[in-house]
Amino acid sequence: MMTRVTFSLRRTRLIAFNTVREAARQKLYGFVGVLAAAFVLGARSLRDFNFGAPELKFLADCGFGVMAFFGAALVITATAQLFFSEIENRTVLTLLAKPVWRAEFILGKFIGLAFVAGVFCTVVTLLLIQVLASREAQLLRDFPEASGLGAFVSYSNVIFAGVLQWLKLAVLAAFTLLVASFAQTQLFTVVTGFFILVIGHLQYLAQDAYARGGSWLGRGMSGLIATAFPNFQLFALADGLNVGEALPWWHVARVALYALGYIGVACGLAVVSFRQREI
Amino acid sequence: MATEQHADRVSPALELRGLIKDFSTGLRGLKLRAVDRLDLRVEAGQVYGLLGPNGSGKSTTIKMILGLLAPTAGHCEVFGVASTCVEARREVGYLPESPYFYRYLTGRELVRFYAELGGLHGKALAERVAEVIATVGLTAAADRRIETYSKGMLQRIGLAQAIVHHPRLLILDEPTAGVDPVGAAAITELILSLKAQGKTVLITSHLLGQIEDICDRVAILDRGRLMLEGAVRELVGRADRQALLVPTLPAAELQELRAWLESRGHTLEMVAAPKARLDQIFLDCVGKKK
Amino acid sequence: MKSKGLTLLLAIVSLVVAGAGLGKFVEPVWRATREAEPALRLDSAAAAAGQGVTLALLGGFRALVADASWVRMYVAWEARDLPATETLLGLVTTLDPRPVYFWLNSARIMAYDFPAWRIETAGGFTAVSPAIQAKFKQQQGEAALQQIDRAMRYHPLSADLWVERANIQLNQLKDLAGAAESYRRAWQQPRAPYFAARLHGELLRRAGRSAEALAWLVKLHPELPTNDEGAGGPVVLGRIRDLERELAVPANNRYQPAR
Repeated sequence: MMTRVTFSLRRTRLIAFNTVREAARQKLYGFVGVLAAAFVLGARSLRDFNFGAPELKFLADCGFGVMAFFGAALVITATAQLFFSEIENRTVLTLLAKPVWRAEFILGKFIGLAFVAGVFCTVVTLLLIQVLASREAQLLRDFPEASGLGAFVSYSNVIFAGVLQWLKLAVLAAFTLLVASFAQTQLFTVVTGFFILVIGHLQYLAQDAYARGGSWLGRGMSGLIATAFPNFQLFALADGLNVGEALPWWHVARVALYALGYIGVACGLAVVSFRQREI
Repeated sequence: MATEQHADRVSPALELRGLIKDFSTGLRGLKLRAVDRLDLRVEAGQVYGLLGPNGSGKSTTIKMILGLLAPTAGHCEVFGVASTCVEARREVGYLPESPYFYRYLTGRELVRFYAELGGLHGKALAERVAEVIATVGLTAAADRRIETYSKGMLQRIGLAQAIVHHPRLLILDEPTAGVDPVGAAAITELILSLKAQGKTVLITSHLLGQIEDICDRVAILDRGRLMLEGAVRELVGRADRQALLVPTLPAAELQELRAWLESRGHTLEMVAAPKARLDQIFLDCVGKKK
Repeated sequence: MKSKGLTLLLAIVSLVVAGAGLGKFVEPVWRATREAEPALRLDSAAAAAGQGVTLALLGGFRALVADASWVRMYVAWEARDLPATETLLGLVTTLDPRPVYFWLNSARIMAYDFPAWRIETAGGFTAVSPAIQAKFKQQQGEAALQQIDRAMRYHPLSADLWVERANIQLNQLKDLAGAAESYRRAWQQPRAPYFAARLHGELLRRAGRSAEALAWLVKLHPELPTNDEGAGGPVVLGRIRDLERELAVPANNRYQPAR
């Protein structure tokens, strides 16, 4: 008899680190990051059509839009690519031929992807803060009378927005990974990932349809969508920059727990599905 | 502890009993049987050749041994542990056919990664990584990215990751496929040295000469079934025949010899010039210089 | 095959059970988010004419699409295209009702620019009769007030909106009493400008309600900080004295500032 091989956080961390390393050494993801950064920095050129506090709002909206768009594209493609590269390049054979649990593989991949998304959101958020802060300082110099009204931008909200975007991308990564765990092709995973992104944003419409009632089939379908998919609209609740309307911390905390709940379920199901996968 | 050692001593390195693997073809309930009631037993310390044409079920069998595929029926055990358990993989090192490792890693990073997955850490990790890289002769190229490696170097780094965590059973799927004769000879030498260290090696190869040279036993599969199994010496040797090697005889002397044998009731069945093996000539010309 | 079916069933059941629980857990946040986001209410989203709505429903893009629509609105505004400007103003404030800036500027455009454009379209200021011009101003002024009323549902504590309401009532609708009341309401909001309180008093006086105006200013004066020039304490005191004279208030009944 051999001694048991228990689930190892160390091996999970190794796989996560390797996932991050693979993403970091691929030019495509670096390019997406640079493009996103360029959009945030380039947003300053939009100031020609306005002045004062609304301009800062435009800058922030641009930053959040970039984070949402490029972040989703990055997470979906990276999840599909980094998962399927293991299958197609047969590296998964040598990896799983070592004493590694499939759960460690899935969780390692997820943590690696969540880390990549986290780095992306952090970079874009910091750039956005830098752009906003420098423009705010300039505006306060140009319009000193406005300084009496206090700060134009709620930077805590900008940070909250970055954190919520990251949580949304992590949920998206977990769901995309769930699809990848049983999908046969990378293309299917990418397309389904984008469907999940769209359904997640329109999930609340299914909630409404369920609440309105109707035929049992319609109610069943809408109820299924309303519960099985996360509501991604919740993660945009910090996008406003109204000073004096700081986001309650418990809103962020609840949304964070909501995200963690969905991540847990999606990753758990991905493990169950991947354990049955024949490689 | 004593019981564990005893269990390991009595368990073969690999035991397959009635192993079956069916694949669904996607058409209504139709199944393709890749492995059909396969029984095999590989004793510890042997070099065992698994032979067969393409599609004979070799790779499927290996994947079941590694727990990558679940058997439809039957049992597969590695040192007495069911292959579906993660524990079984602790004693296994695997080199896949045509390995495409993480191209963005250097050779050292790759071996280190697999070593850590295999449970090595601390000082022993760095030492072992350097040791196996030296064993496969890649010390000079260890810090180069794998994408720059030749086919032979890929096979060697693959061997390094397979042996780095001190497995007792090595599974090598076509380890010399696409490798030049010099590289193939180096890999053969490495396999023999592993055998000398007491490792069990399960090897598949299309190069039957190579299998014949290094394997103790072989099994021949065809369409998922075991067609022949036995010790190489018994299978290829003929106990009732002998070959005598002498310098070329003049025709008259050869006739005399034939007559002498006949006078004693023997028959000279064949007279032929022995051939040198081409791979040996190649190695003599190229390999030695290297 | 059987096992795959079971896994699928397990996945659906797990997601539904978890989703139901998590949905309940996050419901208060969702309710609050939805309250603040008309774009998340199907009816208003569907009613908002024009492209961009579908895209805007996608989370982080909503605000960005509103911004882009605002820029497009400027293009329509420069071309004096009233229907396009009006549609885009509606779209912008529906998609992103959070910035007061959108509401204020849309109300101003509706109250001041739209009547001028309508008059020009009808033949110009000289050709169109004063009665028709007044009618246009009245109609557009009322539309602007409705826009501000909508804005107040999202920004109930905005002094700026009450001030804008008062300005439109005063300048376009010539409604002195309404404007006076709106300035008073503006003054009740946090961070209200001091001039709102002064203008309330002034409009009461202009409406012939001098006694009310005096009472208001007398009540206001002690509340004004002395260390802030913008508060206009001396101006208010001067106005009080004017009104006391106008109303012939006996000397012993006159307002005596405490400081």
